[in-house]
Amino acid sequence: MTKIIINGTEVETREGIPVLQAALEMGLNVPHYCYHPGLSVVASCRLCLMEMKMPHPKTGEMGWAPKLMPSCQTPVRDGMEVRFDSEAVKRNQRNCMEFFLLNHPLDCPVCDQAGECLLQDYSYQFGDSTSRMVDPKYVNPKKDLGPKTLLYANRCVMCTRCVRFADEVAGTGELCVTNRGSKAEIDVFPGKALDNPLQGNVVDICPVGCLLDKDFLFKQRVWHLHSGDSICPGCATGCAVRVDQNENVIYRLKPRYNPGVNDWWMCDEGRFGWKYAQDATRLNRVITRRGEAVESLDWAGLPQTVRFRFAEVTAEHGDASIAIVLSPFMACEEAWLVATALRKIAPNAALVLGPVPLREQDEVFPKGATNGDAKFTISKERCPNRRGIERIIGALGGPTLTFAEFSENGGKGEIKGAWISGGYPEKWVDKELAKAADKIEFLVVHDLFASELCAPAEIVIPACPFTERAGSFMNIAGKLQPFEWAVKPADGCKRDGQFLQELAEITGIYQPESVRKLMAKQMPEFAEVAAPPKMPEHQH
Amino acid sequence: MVRTADPTNLSTYEPILLRHVGVPEARTLEGYRARGGYKAAEKALTQMSADDVIDEVKRANLRGRGGAGFPAGVKWSFLPKDRTVTYLCVNADESEPPTFSNRVLMENDPHALIEGTIIAGYATRATTAYIYMRGEFWEQFHIVQKAIDEAYAAGILGKDIFGSGYGLNVYIHRGGGAYVCGEETGLIESIEGKRGWPRIKPPFPAIEGLFRKPTVVNNVETLCNVPHIIERGADWFLGIGPEGSSGPKLFCISGPVKKPGCYEWAMDISLRELIEDPRFGGGMRDGKKVKAVFPGGISMGVVTGDELDMKMNFTDPAKFGLLGLGTAAAVVVDDSIDIRTVIRNVARFFSHESCGQCTQCREGTSWMFKMTDRLAGNLGRREDLDLLAEVSGNMGMMPGMSICGLSDGAAFAIKTVIKKFRSELEECIARENPEAVKIALEVVN
Repeated sequence: MTKIIINGTEVETREGIPVLQAALEMGLNVPHYCYHPGLSVVASCRLCLMEMKMPHPKTGEMGWAPKLMPSCQTPVRDGMEVRFDSEAVKRNQRNCMEFFLLNHPLDCPVCDQAGECLLQDYSYQFGDSTSRMVDPKYVNPKKDLGPKTLLYANRCVMCTRCVRFADEVAGTGELCVTNRGSKAEIDVFPGKALDNPLQGNVVDICPVGCLLDKDFLFKQRVWHLHSGDSICPGCATGCAVRVDQNENVIYRLKPRYNPGVNDWWMCDEGRFGWKYAQDATRLNRVITRRGEAVESLDWAGLPQTVRFRFAEVTAEHGDASIAIVLSPFMACEEAWLVATALRKIAPNAALVLGPVPLREQDEVFPKGATNGDAKFTISKERCPNRRGIERIIGALGGPTLTFAEFSENGGKGEIKGAWISGGYPEKWVDKELAKAADKIEFLVVHDLFASELCAPAEIVIPACPFTERAGSFMNIAGKLQPFEWAVKPADGCKRDGQFLQELAEITGIYQPESVRKLMAKQMPEFAEVAAPPKMPEHQH
Repeated sequence: MVRTADPTNLSTYEPILLRHVGVPEARTLEGYRARGGYKAAEKALTQMSADDVIDEVKRANLRGRGGAGFPAGVKWSFLPKDRTVTYLCVNADESEPPTFSNRVLMENDPHALIEGTIIAGYATRATTAYIYMRGEFWEQFHIVQKAIDEAYAAGILGKDIFGSGYGLNVYIHRGGGAYVCGEETGLIESIEGKRGWPRIKPPFPAIEGLFRKPTVVNNVETLCNVPHIIERGADWFLGIGPEGSSGPKLFCISGPVKKPGCYEWAMDISLRELIEDPRFGGGMRDGKKVKAVFPGGISMGVVTGDELDMKMNFTDPAKFGLLGLGTAAAVVVDDSIDIRTVIRNVARFFSHESCGQCTQCREGTSWMFKMTDRLAGNLGRREDLDLLAEVSGNMGMMPGMSICGLSDGAAFAIKTVIKKFRSELEECIARENPEAVKIALEVVN
């Protein structure tokens, strides 16, 4: 067990990690810009300097070293003693903040970063309220780095996190530093653009308002935003994300620290791929069809209606003619609720895993990395919960069908009653399925968008996107990760879990934990979910 | 062409490093060999082991001539014993104003540099050496490249040199003219094709340097001393100059002296001798008086006209508040020059050359330039002097604020000028029109 003394307090930590990391983990607010646990150490911002006890070069006696040391570059060794609370350390922090702001335009009122800006925070916490420079400031230009990102070079603190990210994580290396001294600027190499699939992360790791996301530019002041902890449904990697919304309107997605899964990063497809959740063409009312007539249905009686009609069809054709299609976009809880609800009516109903959108191969970063040293992977499986649904289908037992068999049998008219869950962000209904749907006597469709299934369906139920739901997804590595809702369901919709719980005749408000408790009786692995640990409060 | 030690007045001292100045034929391999060249390399490679060479250089206490004065032999012995690949880098970036001693050596005696490189390469078991030459050295590049080509053609470079089984390849890498690439890790990054940003240490280059392999970086002048140590022995070398600063040294002198140039002597002369002795600077031109001297390149700091008794060795400059001997290139400022323009010029240089990596140096140097620029323009304030002293005190490796030592240099130049010429600066400020200062600052803010 490694123990070190920070500010006179003994703390247990891990050998070899940077002292700065140890200090942050003990809850200390040590200012830093260039240090990021996911990037190499450059020790250039000189903000995290500390005092350290060292043996005297001649006498060997332990004493405070005469000069300050960068805590990000100094590894933890058992028994070492450092401090961040001395006058010399504080003076350096004060001086640094003055230096950082010398040529900074102080344009916080029009800066997107204001409110979550480490220049603001550190200046307030460690700096002085005035600058002693009376001379004109240098002005560095604004630049377009690529299709999605802007650079306001004036606000840069030259931490080079973005450059290191492009080199070390994305592996595409578009970014560089040009010019020298105070006129040094971040830039893209001539003829290149910052346009790799992970480029949005440079905006996240920029501690100041230098790198800006064009998609979010001037949309919201960040202090109006409220966040929900979610999981990106874009692929099977299962990146932990934060959905930032104000008044039920989503403005952006940010990655959450999730070691071993997405670490600190997320891809641009996920980052900007949530727009369908607020699409105006989403289904927004329950529709039922009686003969030629189309009617709106009330949510209140819907569970009963669905159960009743399934019971009718089962009674008429037998329970083997019933199929339940579970989408890999459903949460585990939701899938389990549908399956148990309908199996209660038709015990031998077949369970079907909906189509799994696939790409040719995983996209691995840094570019050119073999799977072993990959720092980030965009999965070829373009859905979040294939593992979870397969697990549930397996555990519930009974008859199952593959999706192809379902379409085929349906096309032959063998399936009389079916529940089809969708929830795909893109068009997903193929010809075979549309053909099968025509032949199914009683079809319930639970989906986000109108499709070829809606016309033959007897009941069409609007589903919610991930931002409006709660539950858990099992990612490609088999990790069960919980997610919360960030916004209320859109007008006319109902949270999927709540409706499906009513369908399963479970009373009360839908809570994923309670449902998981019920599931755990059959499937013990659902007893616990793996929520990512919180980053230390002052880490960024 | 730079003038060198007066060949008519060598009664007490025979030039060693500059022995081929004014001898054009020594530039050619034939001429160099005819004058005893490559004997030392042959001796080292055929009669001595690598460790013998290191021991001899260590015993001679050959201190690095690039500025820091670190003993070369000790540097070589830091290399890990179990290394497989070693690189030797020759620092010919010579970017410290107003230094031109490496240039003189490369122009007049390129084969001496190659010989020194071969011996150092043999001692460090390096098979590849890179001569990192500053971009402005166009003529010098061609001279050295020609010498390298000659050496290859004669089998002195390449495989199996002098039948010893040791082989060395030498390449010249031309820099883009950045001051910071004279810092050894900045130089290494630059050779690797990256931006010349000094690396954080540890690991030191001896453990992990060029291409992440053990690397030694030596100055041109340091390496030019090595053949003489091998040829004549460490005791001979120790006999030249005072203890701790042994061996011949090149001194550059520029400014309003009668004979500016590069001179060689032992490190037992004083700054006054360097300026006034007819063998060296020859006194001030046009009856001017010495006001200030930057005796070790501008980054080491300044001494006043009253401090000329400073000895030009490795230990004395610190007693006068300087950072060190530096490159031993003295630039003289005469009494007709306003010290404000001097400090402005110094600050301008460092603000232009700061690499931009560490905050204090990047922002501090440009701030100091802005302040000194205003001072020189009659718009200074008294508090600017305190601020300059404070800002320069907050920079550099010594208080721990930077990755490399170059910001110490930027700080020392300003710090010592403020300290030693404060009364003059205050007088200048007192003569200003306070209303004009006020109006000018209001326009800015």
